[in-house]
Amino acid sequence: MTQRRIDWPDLLFGAFLILVAAGTFAATWRLNGGTAANMGPGYMPRAIAGILLAFGLFFAIRGLLRAHSGIERVQLRPILGVGAAVGVFALLIETAGLATASLASIFIAALASRESRFFEVILFGLFVAAGAVLLFVKALALPVPIWPW
Amino acid sequence: MELFDNLLLGLSTALQFNNLFYCLIGVVIGTAIGVLPGIGPIPTVALLLPFTFGLEPASALIMLAGIFYGAQYGGSTTAILVNVPGETSSVVTCLDGHEMAKKGRAGAALAIAAISSFFAGTVATVIIAVLSLPLAALALKFTAVEYFSLLVLGLFAAVILAHGSVSKSLAMVFLGLLIGTVGIDVNSGIARMTFGVPALADGLDFVPVAMGLFGLAEIIANLERPAVRQVVSQKLRDLMPSRADLKAAFPAMVRGTFIGSALGVLPGGGAALPPFTAYALEKKIAKDPSRFGKGAIEGVAGPEAANNAGAQTSFIPLLTLGIPANALMALMIGALMMQGIQPGPQVMTEQPELVWGVIASMWTGNLMLLIINLPLVGLWVSMLKIPYRLLFPAIVLFCCIGTYGISNSAFNVWLMLGCAVVGYFFIKVGVEPAPLLLGLVLGPQLEENFRRAMQLSDGDPSVFVTRPISAVLLGIVAIMLLAMLSPAVLKTRKEALAE
Repeated sequence: MTQRRIDWPDLLFGAFLILVAAGTFAATWRLNGGTAANMGPGYMPRAIAGILLAFGLFFAIRGLLRAHSGIERVQLRPILGVGAAVGVFALLIETAGLATASLASIFIAALASRESRFFEVILFGLFVAAGAVLLFVKALALPVPIWPW
Repeated sequence: MELFDNLLLGLSTALQFNNLFYCLIGVVIGTAIGVLPGIGPIPTVALLLPFTFGLEPASALIMLAGIFYGAQYGGSTTAILVNVPGETSSVVTCLDGHEMAKKGRAGAALAIAAISSFFAGTVATVIIAVLSLPLAALALKFTAVEYFSLLVLGLFAAVILAHGSVSKSLAMVFLGLLIGTVGIDVNSGIARMTFGVPALADGLDFVPVAMGLFGLAEIIANLERPAVRQVVSQKLRDLMPSRADLKAAFPAMVRGTFIGSALGVLPGGGAALPPFTAYALEKKIAKDPSRFGKGAIEGVAGPEAANNAGAQTSFIPLLTLGIPANALMALMIGALMMQGIQPGPQVMTEQPELVWGVIASMWTGNLMLLIINLPLVGLWVSMLKIPYRLLFPAIVLFCCIGTYGISNSAFNVWLMLGCAVVGYFFIKVGVEPAPLLLGLVLGPQLEENFRRAMQLSDGDPSVFVTRPISAVLLGIVAIMLLAMLSPAVLKTRKEALAE
């Protein structure tokens, strides 16, 4: 049996940092760096990105050399459900109003859990949406429409 | 007797009717989220931040502070009755508190936990009041050079004393600093890394970042785990502890309070480190250590006292120096800035009612908590019957509404979604997100002071080591970093945090 290598958490975190540093360099290459005594807008972002790059390389290389360590399996249902709920809220809030957006996002979020029960979620969603409208629009005066019309 | 004048000034602020009211709201919300596992004080404070905008600064801070220490109380209720820590800080309370409950002494355990917390809260309030003045006086002598070094010390200490790998946490601090530079550069007026998005011109709002990283990512990770059935085992009788209980618990309470107060001041200590340390100490000095883990009352009193004292003294660096000791204090800085108050040592002299009002409110808040928690404990326990499958969609929704509410922008909701995905990635690769938040909040100040210092010294970085105060501060950073490299210290730290 061959010995398994690669510490995946380290390698992935390192790769992530390298990516962020590269993105920063790409986004700021046009900005003036200036000198240490008179820094331009690009000085700090590039300096920090340089440090991040070093960290990223360190973790990535260490990850490749270290003994094997895996990552817990990613389950798609929770992340997709919660993500979609937030996305739908962002799309609906300004056009369709708070009540609609709340209902939609509660129903979609409930899909993220295998334990949700159909009628319970419908009732609970109506209850929470009504509560949210009362609390945020009526009591806290959040300037947002309640209904699409 | 400046101290008494200050405390009186604080009490007169804290006892105003509206401030008492906001304090009550804060501690009630805090207790509720403390009781419920799966939602912590960080997303809650982030969620409520936008709505404190209309309040007076003192009322806003009093309420947000109440959420924080209220959560410490609530967390222990769940720990004792259900053996599930409502907050990370109450993990140790499970050990002996739940054992006491199993033996039919849940009432005594709850009462001792609440009394210890109240005692610690009272002592910590006085400690804050005593320590704040000299610290703030010292800080007023600071120029940009010293302030930069102090910020560096704060960030490094927060990283080293918190859990998780030091090198990864450091990387996270820099990541936070980097996203802190997004937005219009104050000196030149040029947009940096905004990718043409006008909503980014003012920089990344930390509320969506905090809610995505802490609130939503945590929910996604929780849903992947199988649900824990929570059973509240028994009826509560006899809330009053016996005289013998009190006698056994009192010394532990006092020791816990002092450990907690000392550790709470340290950056990164916050509320997590003190209870563990207090528990270890109680076990070590006990005549019969084998009782621990089987319902020893000292094992509840010590950590509970340490926990609350630490939660409160972690306000000291914030109120006197404008430096947050943990992610939650970083949110408090955000709350100050939303009120148009630049955090720093000058707050103490310019806004004495605010600072002393918040300090005094901790005492009134602790008194309220004692009343809220003991007679009403049944109410909080019934909250535990709400299943997580209903709780989490509601939390998701409230995060969305809260984020939208900061500046009525759907962009912030998208930003929160992005942060949730990144936060989920961080959980998967085992990196703590808290240092990122510290970096993000302190980033702009750090850059501003660094630039100013470099301008003063004409680009010569040696200014940071030739000025005495700054040299001492950076010296402490260097010693801490060197100590982290020594295997002996590394091992003790691992043991201390793993317990």
